Amino acid sequence: MNKLYLGGIIFTALMLLFTYMSVSGSEGGLHGDIVNMLAVAGAVALIIITVFVVIKYVRQMQTDTADGQLADEKWDGIGEYLNELPMGWAIMFFLLIVWGMWYFTVGYPLNAYSQIGEYNEDTAAHNTKFEAEYASITGDRLVEMGESVFLAECKVCHGINADGIEGKAANLNKRIEAKSVKLVIANGSNNKLLGVEMPMPDRNGLFNANTSALISDAEIDTVASFVANGMTGAGADVFAGVCASCHGSDGKGVDSVAPNIASFTPALVANVLAHGKKGAIGEMPKFDRLNAKQKEAVGAYITNLSK
Amino acid sequence: MFHWLEKHPFFFAVGIFVTIAFAGLVEILPNFAQASRPVIGTAPYSTLELAGRHVYIKNSCNACHSQLVRPFKSETDRYGHYSLSGEYAYDRPFLWGSKRTGPDLMRVGNYRTTDWHENHMKSPSGVVPGSIMPAYTWMFKNKADINTAYAEQLTVSQFFSTPYNKPVPMKDGSTKIVKMGASTAEANALALAEAKVIAADMKDQDVKDAVANGQIPEIVALIAYMNSLK
Amino acid sequence: MENRPLEYDYTVAKMFMFTTIALGIVGMLIGVILAFELAFPGVNTILGQGLAEFTNYSRLRPLHTDAVIFGFTLSGIWATWYYVGQRVLKVSMAESGFLMFIGKLHFVLYMVVVVAVVASLFLGITTSKEYAEFEWPIDIAVVVVWVLFGVSIFGLIGIRREKSLYISIWYYIATFLGIAMLYLFNNMEIPTMLATNAAGESGIGNWWHSVSMYAGTNDALVEWWYGHNAVAFGFTVPIVAMIYYFLPKESGQAIYSYKLSLLSFWGLMFVYLWAGGHHLLYSTVPDWMQTMGSIFSVILILPSWGSAINMLLTMKGEWQQVAASPLIKFMVLGSTFYMFSTLEGPIQAIKSVNAIAHFTDWIVGHVHDGTLGWVGFMIMAALYHMAPRVFKREIYSKSLMVSQFWIQTLGVVLYFTSMWIAGITQGMMWRAHDEFGNLAYSFIDTVTVLHPYYAIRGVGGLLYLVGFLMFAYNIYKTMSARPVEESELQNASPMGA
Ligand code: HEC
Ligand code: HEC
Ligand code: HEC
Ligand code: HEM
Ligand code: HEM
Ligand SMILES: [Ca+2]
Ligand SMILES: [Ca+2]
Ligand SMILES: [Cu+2]
Repeated sequence: MNKLYLGGIIFTALMLLFTYMSVSGSEGGLHGDIVNMLAVAGAVALIIITVFVVIKYVRQMQTDTADGQLADEKWDGIGEYLNELPMGWAIMFFLLIVWGMWYFTVGYPLNAYSQIGEYNEDTAAHNTKFEAEYASITGDRLVEMGESVFLAECKVCHGINADGIEGKAANLNKRIEAKSVKLVIANGSNNKLLGVEMPMPDRNGLFNANTSALISDAEIDTVASFVANGMTGAGADVFAGVCASCHGSDGKGVDSVAPNIASFTPALVANVLAHGKKGAIGEMPKFDRLNAKQKEAVGAYITNLSK
Repeated sequence: MFHWLEKHPFFFAVGIFVTIAFAGLVEILPNFAQASRPVIGTAPYSTLELAGRHVYIKNSCNACHSQLVRPFKSETDRYGHYSLSGEYAYDRPFLWGSKRTGPDLMRVGNYRTTDWHENHMKSPSGVVPGSIMPAYTWMFKNKADINTAYAEQLTVSQFFSTPYNKPVPMKDGSTKIVKMGASTAEANALALAEAKVIAADMKDQDVKDAVANGQIPEIVALIAYMNSLK
Repeated sequence: MENRPLEYDYTVAKMFMFTTIALGIVGMLIGVILAFELAFPGVNTILGQGLAEFTNYSRLRPLHTDAVIFGFTLSGIWATWYYVGQRVLKVSMAESGFLMFIGKLHFVLYMVVVVAVVASLFLGITTSKEYAEFEWPIDIAVVVVWVLFGVSIFGLIGIRREKSLYISIWYYIATFLGIAMLYLFNNMEIPTMLATNAAGESGIGNWWHSVSMYAGTNDALVEWWYGHNAVAFGFTVPIVAMIYYFLPKESGQAIYSYKLSLLSFWGLMFVYLWAGGHHLLYSTVPDWMQTMGSIFSVILILPSWGSAINMLLTMKGEWQQVAASPLIKFMVLGSTFYMFSTLEGPIQAIKSVNAIAHFTDWIVGHVHDGTLGWVGFMIMAALYHMAPRVFKREIYSKSLMVSQFWIQTLGVVLYFTSMWIAGITQGMMWRAHDEFGNLAYSFIDTVTVLHPYYAIRGVGGLLYLVGFLMFAYNIYKTMSARPVEESELQNASPMGA
């Protein structure tokens, strides 16, 4: 076989190998996605056509000889043959022009293509497919799904281990830090953690039933570390006296009164995702674009983290 | 005919010109009337936001970031609703970009916040391990150019009737008025008031001090701009 | 009388040869820096944190594109124009004091613009529009420079002896007209210093600042009508002008087919302008315009390939020349890369393919197989051919040229294969959903996978730059190489060992 063809075939094979690598590098391969398939088909066609068309002309350089009738004129010594158009080229050009005119006048209008229409169909198909699957997801599967949401959407702020990246966002491996509790007690909180506007009063509204006085600086410190330590250690008395009335004696919250501050719950996470949250660490944005199931799942994942 | 043209350069040039100008007329003009109308919910940029936009342009953020959400499920999942033409009605120039070395920013105001931007612009890889985005530390020192932003507001309101100091309709049925100063002093005061809100959520002490002293570092303007992208 | 050779005057051509090389080095060096900044972000602060404002990726990127396009490529176009123009029109610039003056003025003003552009881009003064970053004061200077170019073209044509215009001249005229029209319309902008406020203040803010006359989608339309055709009239049309002259001249072969030249030329002129919509696929531009962009892109393959095929067929039966001459190798491989990128472009212009390719490195790969493999190779070949004739000396070293050819070819291949993989990988990862229907990857996952490809691209780019430096050195040494006789300069360029 001619060296050229061999070279061409090797080159083509290499490029196809690379393309294959890219496809498998994206995990999951073509996925039956028409767009993926067309892109790869395009890449393949590109290589094969160019390589073999060029080889054809190189062969002509090697074996053919120049001939034809020369034009009368010369420019700086450059002559010009009066050869006819290469047939393949001429036919292709003609066909493409006809195709273009047809497509524009008939093909496209009849097709009534609209990119937004296509989007709506795709999205509807996607949603139907996954709504059917979501229905049966619970337990560990739900946590797994939540992890996938977390890794795609949340890890840029909370870090891949959900540790908050050195205090840049909340560490989700534990319910809450002392500094956050302190701020909330000192200034109150109004983050719609219960889903609706239901503020927690600031220190001027927090009475200690045991001492019948407003909460003191020292008490704030102890109760803050009590809560931050997962409701253990010194400060249980303050908690019982000041906080338990709303957050419950175990800190697990009371429906429609105050949120769980002992552990994460899917409901709490869902509320944070619905309304965002501003606190001692910074501001967390809301996430409208997640659907209800995704919120539930990521809630399960976070609840599971700090268990 | 072609031989004749090749001997008559003037007509040859006219021939070329007509051939190439034709497409422009057919393709570009028809869109001009309709595409510039804003959709409801789109308001002009405030002075500080515009100054931030200039910071964005000055540093060619558009070299890596697009601002165009295409209508694909994967993009609307990642970035939010696909882009609508009218949302860009006040974008001069448009900043769609042509390369996504970093993510799209068309709606970044929806899912990133002031403090996150502050950390990120100072050290992208400190927040997002493996990030290849440069750190923009000098923005914390350089001062934003409010006067030029103000001059641009004046220009667009005079030449293109951009509705400053006029009610524009919002999605929830309310209206919003974006203020433009009557003098450079007033424009600077408006920008500073906005800057204070941003600086309150930031941690960098130099930035906070600067704003307290009536100066606006570039980063504050840039964050105002990014927060406005929704 | 007819046969006595004219004394062509290459003063202006030489000046532009110099800037082609100088700005080529600058532009490609910045390209290599950019490539390594993406692979190893530490390079952003290579000159220290203090200078990072000026050395980071985003500040440098427009400098790269403008240096290679408006520095390297444009200088190359002008260097060849001031050489080819005289020869195929059979008239010397020495015959017209006026044209000589215009040519020199053209060069001097161009240098002024170059300095202004470099300074302004380093300072971050830019309008952000790709390939049209310059603010209005520079735009005005650019228009003046362009008009001078036009005067030179039509002036020389006006006093020509060769009545009928050679193919290359067609393409140079088209370059002039195309860019003139595009540049003017895309740069319609209002200086903000014209505004006055209620308090009567005017001239507020930076005097050079302006706002675009067009907003949003319209601005995008005009910009990509420009951007696409800037490629057409900067990277295609004038480069085709070069190959139509230098390949037949160097090889001594006659052009394969006049008819093919003719149809390719007018086909290209007609079809190119319609295809700009392929930069705006799936954007907010109306569907029909996008479709138009895709269709015409596919049709565009044929007029593009027409010129390339014409060139390859011109070399029919001349394989021994291709094998023997590195100069001809550059041009033949250049045509091949031209065919490759003009097939790749239309494939990427198909809507569904573009859904993956757009915004990714596959586009960057496409850009560089065109610019490195076609534009770069062709300009270097042209300068190699010109050097012996301009300096009346043989090319300093043929073996250096041969090594350069292979080093650069390897560079281009590494560049586009790595970007090919990177682009397709990233495009597919962006689209991927997992078994739960959630996005499979966060954005950063799609960035970190690209690291090896970015590194390979950097190496490819570095090889190309090294080759370019070899080229610069070879041309430099040519100025002091063995003098040659007029008779040695008929076709194949004389080369030292
Ligand atoms: C009057 C009822 C009430 C009392 C008493 C009260 N809280 Fe709260 N607490 C709330 C409500 C309501 C919220 C939710 C506020 C919101 O939506 O931001 C809340 C929120 C919190 C949060 C924020 C949780 C988070 O995720 O940011 C913490 C921490 C907290 N309370 C701790 C305490 C402690 C400690 C005490 C006692 C010192 C206390 N609370 C007393 C009603 C109360
Ligand atoms: C732009 C950054 C950012 C993103 C993205 C982000 N968060 Fe947060 N998140 C924060 C910050 C900052 C806090 C801490 C707020 C505070 O308490 O000061 C936080 C706090 C939280 C909390 C604790 C709320 C509480 O009551 O203490 C939860 C739960 C949470 N985020 C869940 C998520 C989930 C789930 C996602 C992704 C779907 C997510 N976050 C994405 C920044 C972010
Ligand atoms: C070299 C390319 C590059 C440049 C230049 C660049 N970025 Fe980025 N950007 C990235 C990459 C990569 C990411 C994703 C990783 C990360 O979040 O850091 C990113 C992420 C971001 C994000 C987070 C968006 C999100 O959805 O997570 C914002 C906001 C951002 N960049 C703003 C900017 C601004 C403003 C500028 C200009 C001043 C800029 N970037 C310049 C590459 C770049
Ligand atoms: C038939 C000819 C060609 C067609 C149809 C074509 C098509 C395309 C397409 C579809 C894109 C991508 C747009 C996007 O999705 O962002 C593109 C980008 C580009 N092409 Fe081509 N191409 C052609 C030839 C060339 C050649 C020969 C060169 C250079 C030598 C070139 C240079 C570029 C450049 C510089 C870009 C990048 C534009 C940007 O900044 O986004 N093209 N082309
Ligand atoms: C040494 C060789 C070169 C290297 C290493 C190089 C590298 C680069 C890099 C890293 C980018 C940015 C890509 C991105 O956004 O991710 C780029 C963009 C670009 N380069 Fe080069 N380059 C080189 C030579 C050239 C030459 C010779 C030309 C033109 C004649 C050129 C034209 C361009 C263009 C038009 C773009 C913009 C592409 C786009 O926006 O899509 N480059 N180059
Ligand atoms: Ca680009
Ligand atoms: Ca301009
Ligand atoms: Cu194009």
